[in-house]
Amino acid sequence: MIKKILATFVFLLIAVPAFADVNVITAYPYIKDIAERIGKDKIKVTSLASGNWDPHFIIPKPSLIAKARKADLLIINGGQLEIGWLPQIIRQSNNPNIQSGNKGLLDLSNYVKMMEVPTSVSRSQGDVHPNGNPHFVLDPYNVPKLSKAISEKLSIMDSANSNFYKNNNIAFTKEWMLKLKGWSNKMKPFSGTKVFEYHRLYDYFLARFHLVYDGALEPLPGIPPTAKHLEDLINIAKKDNVKFILQDVYHPKEASKFISEKTGVKVIVMPQDVNAVVEAKDIFSLFDNLVNKITG
Amino acid sequence: MNKISLAVSIFSVLLTFNAYAENEVKTTPIEKEINIKEEPKSVDDTDKIEDKGQVFDNIDDRTLQLNKNTTDASTLTISSPFAQSSFVPDISLILDSSYAYRNITNNAFDGLITPSFRGKAGFPTNGFNLNYAELSLASTIDTYFDLMAVLPFSTSGVAIEEAFINSRSLPFNFQLKAGKFRSSFGRLNSQHEHSWDFTDAPLVYSAFFGGEQLNEKGVQINWLAPTDTYLLLGVEGLQGENEASFGTKGFEVGKNKFEEVNKPNLLVAFAKTSVDIENLTILGGLTFAGGGKRISESNDDKTKITDFDGSSKIYAGDLTFKYFFDSYRYLSLQSEYMYRSLNGINYSTKDNLSSDSEQSGLYSQLIWRFDQLWRTGVRFDMLNKNDIYENTVNINSPNNLMRYSAMLEYNPTEFSRIRLQYNHDRSKYADTNLQPVNEIFLQLNMAIGSHAAHAF
Repeated sequence: MIKKILATFVFLLIAVPAFADVNVITAYPYIKDIAERIGKDKIKVTSLASGNWDPHFIIPKPSLIAKARKADLLIINGGQLEIGWLPQIIRQSNNPNIQSGNKGLLDLSNYVKMMEVPTSVSRSQGDVHPNGNPHFVLDPYNVPKLSKAISEKLSIMDSANSNFYKNNNIAFTKEWMLKLKGWSNKMKPFSGTKVFEYHRLYDYFLARFHLVYDGALEPLPGIPPTAKHLEDLINIAKKDNVKFILQDVYHPKEASKFISEKTGVKVIVMPQDVNAVVEAKDIFSLFDNLVNKITG
Repeated sequence: MNKISLAVSIFSVLLTFNAYAENEVKTTPIEKEINIKEEPKSVDDTDKIEDKGQVFDNIDDRTLQLNKNTTDASTLTISSPFAQSSFVPDISLILDSSYAYRNITNNAFDGLITPSFRGKAGFPTNGFNLNYAELSLASTIDTYFDLMAVLPFSTSGVAIEEAFINSRSLPFNFQLKAGKFRSSFGRLNSQHEHSWDFTDAPLVYSAFFGGEQLNEKGVQINWLAPTDTYLLLGVEGLQGENEASFGTKGFEVGKNKFEEVNKPNLLVAFAKTSVDIENLTILGGLTFAGGGKRISESNDDKTKITDFDGSSKIYAGDLTFKYFFDSYRYLSLQSEYMYRSLNGINYSTKDNLSSDSEQSGLYSQLIWRFDQLWRTGVRFDMLNKNDIYENTVNINSPNNLMRYSAMLEYNPTEFSRIRLQYNHDRSKYADTNLQPVNEIFLQLNMAIGSHAAHAF
């Protein structure tokens, strides 16, 4: 009897992987959405983080370890965005595939050019990212680069379906470039508009559409606003005719409201990831929402 | 025969799967890659969507490289072919210093005991303290192992708090840990002091394990169960030299002579599991630690346990509820309970007494992070059971020893922490009299360098 049970167990261990799709875990929901568009029914995707939390400080819940355990492929944003939460999850996952240096880890930051790479780094500058601003997904021109990297990776890992992934990526990129044209047209009149941000989350989006960053509510990255700093911003807002305060969904909104009350500058709550706001259901509607928030 | 037929059937099923997988390959040709003509004009010039791949122009023309570099004589001398600086491990230094005030003198406090509990933690003395400057080094060794070392420096020297390797490539979700490390016993035990919510360890930890928690040389093997719910099981084989609960030293009293205990002397087994309900995370664990206990302190009359030989078993349970309001604010309720039974014989020059004890303690703490920069919390400590039987007679050691603590923390960044803590301690005795102790600590805990992220 025991032998039979043991045999069944061994059989399951061997046989199950033959059924399974590629099990993909992503750090953030936007990566999940892109991956699903490339892999469709050939892969199974789970995102570790949810979109409405601070991407720098995702809580390393033990349930995330259980999710990471079975991953064939872990796709991360990279650029040290996950440094505060993901390394422990990977270490405790007891999953050789996704350890750094192994083939089941894909770092998307390798496939884009990062902005704001500091020439010198010190913690006196706040939570600086030595590799540059890691919020690169908000440049819509970066999205096809990321989808391409994902499609290439899937093609290698599951070579039997290589053409499937590549064709899906081509179809996605075509659709994306069409949408991109629409967004560019809508954003054109806002070229040169000056904005504040709470944290420098939207710099890639601003640079792409020629909006001008004129200050952050955080005096330094990761440091909450101080009274003195807000006074300075109020003066800048009046002098420079700042149009918007770009507020993310997860930081307290009091400081933005305070400046808005003193200056009349409009506060707009911008998503930074899929599911950050209800309207941003996927990577397309994320950018629809970003663009609509600016263009009103 | 059975085995062979089974093997054949497995093999044939596998073949079928293989064939199935191969059939799935529909070799649709790749569509012609699209060229994105509209060229983006900002951010930078690398934004062309088309990835050209690596192209080595003129790969055969090896003179090109030389031509470029030899034009300036100085470039010929710039070379550091053996530089290894990019392999420097993650290095961090954590400095912990405090100001302490206590209602009794350092000497008087040092003389206090927790009746019938052998463990005693080091403590910050009245005035200014440099508690530790903890150097930690961590890096991947190679594709198979990671290494981590924690070396606290103090004014009296350096210690190796932890130095261990863990595997990164074992199959079937196993992981091996070896070296000297904090046991995965309970909840708090494996956490470093700087990630605790209070300045000092809970009473039950100090009473059962002394000042360094359960931190031993040995090996751990843990297994993450293939379930959707987090379930971690592990066993540790440890030296068991912690004298507060175990101990291995030999001794000689009168005619009785005991050699050093064979090591490893301690087995720890643990299970941890966790579930999420919306924004609430519940983490629970059960631990068993069992080993020989042999200690010798013939010249010390302060505790009843002297020259003891026997065995020790500890059963522990921990439960944490942590509710997250948002990325920066949470409410956490963390509790641990430990029960220990010690059975053996007390040897002395006069007589030998059988000694059996049942002792237990718990703590429960509520922490509220009410702002990105601020936390506050309260803790309740109790050693609730303290039954010591000598020759089956209860010696009536005091039980229900309590301590109450409260703290307020300001964290300017995640690298710096200023903490104010108050303790009202009713667990310490001067001989047979309770000596209530009031303590205030103002603690600074600061980190520089690259320090690995903390676990949940």
